[in-house]
Amino acid sequence: MFELPSGAEIQSIISILKSGLGFFIPEIYLSILFMGLIILDLALKGRNKSGILGWATLIGLGGSFYFIAQQHAMQAGEHFFGMYVLDEYAIFFKYFFVASGMFAVVATLADRKFDAEVKSIGEYYALVVAMVIGMVMMAAASDLLMIFLAMELVSLSAYILSGYFKRDARSSEAALKYLVYGAVSSGLMLYGFSLIYGMTAETNILKISMELADHGYDPLVMILATLLIMAGFGYKIGAFPFHFWSPDVYEGAPTPITAYLSVASKAAGFALLLRFFYIAVPHGVSPYEDILGIDWLTLLVIMSVASMIYGNVVAIWQKNVKRLLAYSSIAHAGYLLLGVIVMDEIGTQAVLFYLLSYFLMNYAAFYVVVLISNRTGSETLDDYRGLGSKMPLAGAALTVFLISLVGLPPTVGFIGKLMIFSALLSKGALYIWLALIGVLTSVISLYYYMLIPLNMFLRESLEPNEKSLNPGFLAQLMMAVLMILTIWFGLFFEPLSEFARYSSAMFGLSLY
Amino acid sequence: MSNPTYTAIFYLFAAITVFSAAFVVFSRNVIYSAFSLLFTFFGIAALYVFLSADFIAVTQVVVYVGGILVLLLFGVMFTNNIMDTDLKTDVLHAIPGTFLFLGILAALLFTFYTTNGWMPSDTQLQGSVVERIGFETMSRYVLPFEMASILLLAALIGAAFLARYDNGGTNEH
Amino acid sequence: MDQTLSEFGNVFVFFLLGVVFVAGGYLTARMLRPSRPNPVKTSTYECGEEAVGSAWVKFNIRFYVVALIFIIFDVEVVFLFPWATVFRQLGSFALVEALVFAGILILGLVYAWVKGDLDWVRPTPSVPKMPEMPASKSTSQRD
Repeated sequence: MFELPSGAEIQSIISILKSGLGFFIPEIYLSILFMGLIILDLALKGRNKSGILGWATLIGLGGSFYFIAQQHAMQAGEHFFGMYVLDEYAIFFKYFFVASGMFAVVATLADRKFDAEVKSIGEYYALVVAMVIGMVMMAAASDLLMIFLAMELVSLSAYILSGYFKRDARSSEAALKYLVYGAVSSGLMLYGFSLIYGMTAETNILKISMELADHGYDPLVMILATLLIMAGFGYKIGAFPFHFWSPDVYEGAPTPITAYLSVASKAAGFALLLRFFYIAVPHGVSPYEDILGIDWLTLLVIMSVASMIYGNVVAIWQKNVKRLLAYSSIAHAGYLLLGVIVMDEIGTQAVLFYLLSYFLMNYAAFYVVVLISNRTGSETLDDYRGLGSKMPLAGAALTVFLISLVGLPPTVGFIGKLMIFSALLSKGALYIWLALIGVLTSVISLYYYMLIPLNMFLRESLEPNEKSLNPGFLAQLMMAVLMILTIWFGLFFEPLSEFARYSSAMFGLSLY
Repeated sequence: MSNPTYTAIFYLFAAITVFSAAFVVFSRNVIYSAFSLLFTFFGIAALYVFLSADFIAVTQVVVYVGGILVLLLFGVMFTNNIMDTDLKTDVLHAIPGTFLFLGILAALLFTFYTTNGWMPSDTQLQGSVVERIGFETMSRYVLPFEMASILLLAALIGAAFLARYDNGGTNEH
Repeated sequence: MDQTLSEFGNVFVFFLLGVVFVAGGYLTARMLRPSRPNPVKTSTYECGEEAVGSAWVKFNIRFYVVALIFIIFDVEVVFLFPWATVFRQLGSFALVEALVFAGILILGLVYAWVKGDLDWVRPTPSVPKMPEMPASKSTSQRD
């Protein structure tokens, strides 16, 4: 029979848990916000409900910055018996995910399609917040159980959000595909976790690392476990062999959710990937001592190269702007993986900076896509013809964001790519060919990204009516600010890169 | 697992699980598939018992047989003319699929039979594990426990939203 | 392990007995009964009425939402069961934990309730407008 511990032991456990609560305030706040939004949705009646809920979500998410900022003063460490970690790296992603949730709300408020399609918006905002909670947990989880739970929370919210236009068959198709692929990949990931647990009898990633380093491991099991776990992580980041869901989901989902998935969900995948492989897997003298010379790093290299080539090449033939951005997001996952491969502080810094730049330019691009589709009701490339003269500011802004996505100066995207490639080159001759592939595929991406401004400015509209389409003052202002920020951070990137460097400190990391 | 009776019973349940699962996949009638799933769930519950996971076994019966399967049958019964509908259960991409299946199977079996680096857990299970689970949920695993409630709430409101019938009326704006 | 297994052995014996009981009943019936079918005998007995159509009718979609809510609370019970076995020793802290857990889920129930997922479809009485006199409920039911 199981003997309960003594009273004193129980008291000490309770006091540990109570002290852990102090390090968990932003998450508690977000959970209360999540429930509060459900209650607000039930309590509110009346005409302007959608607007009130949207602004409440925005303000509520903004309020969490206050609690996150206070965590800078706290000591980095593990809490709740190794379930949860507080470090600068986690705090960086907390800011990131809350901000991306806010931006998704902003884009939703701007999107006119919601007025026509959606009958009840309360669940939507609540689930956006639930997804923020899940992603924050993903970035800070240090236990296999927590990792799985957090990923499931993110996935479940994302399935429902991508199918939110219930009467739109494509939206439902997106949700269904996302769900089926998601179920398969999280099943594979659990299988990988079980192999790791079988080797170490631990679920905490720091302890796993110690066990593996102390007792050694069978390289065959390790590579199999890595492969299976990569199926789960690769699905979240949307990298090459696990990308099947992304074009259909990105096209079918409501556009703000497409932006949200492409930026936040991807970043959450990378947050987890970096922490898991940098901490849980022991790093010996040489990383290449495993079976057939293949270890997890080699897998990442293959995934990265395949994603860059596949994403950029297939994007050339896309006729729908959302689909085009979906393929380009596969390619961006490839660039980000390059930074992971470097395995040092500069590489982590480059990944974090690239995520920040991707946040800015990708969200901004989708925001303009939302505004244009409000006016034209379409997202196909042909319907962008001649829009440059009708919506001059939107055209100019979108061009700037796309230039940034290509990675040309003087934009923030250029600095992001520069940091990734220079981090690769600083490792010496080993990775030159990887950087070369990165540069070459960026050249390919120049072609298809520039198709959009080409259609907007240089081609005549199919149905020429000279009415100019005004997206409204607030939207104009928003676009202008985003455009200026994209260029501003391309010129004065010091604060962002400093923040990224400061945030690259993970708890329990012995790699650098 | 030295006792031959246990071994025989184990293989009995393993066979029930595998064959009923195969029937789920290959049956052309979705109702028969759904009922066959009942045996799969029961078989898996029995396999949990062999792993000394009695609580998980009971949970399997309560949640999967009592809940998920009922939900599944409901889902089947919402469809019109369910007995007449000819389901598409053709095998697509037979050759790559077979290769993938055999490859994964071979890799897993090879790994399991050649590896002897499995680490046994510190704690040996004796008797029922329910109390231990209760204690661990309340102490070491409080955070996942509370997290699960948030997850369930999100799942509930999302599923209720998607399943709710909108009679096409105008929205609340 | 052996102890748990032998306890479940009892369950297994019950399981076997159940199978034998049902299968044996059918088998004996098959051996004893005369088998002379004709179309009237093999038709479905429905209180003397002629059976029309398939037995598989389309269910109301509302069953589904109710079943979904049932599953969520099913899972909640599974979580609370081990808690109940140790609650006595752990005391108020465990009580608070379980209350938070249950409270969050009860919000889900409130949500379903207020949104009308638990209401059954009632026929809404249509009240035709009568321009001359104020429509009263009792007179305007049928038209």
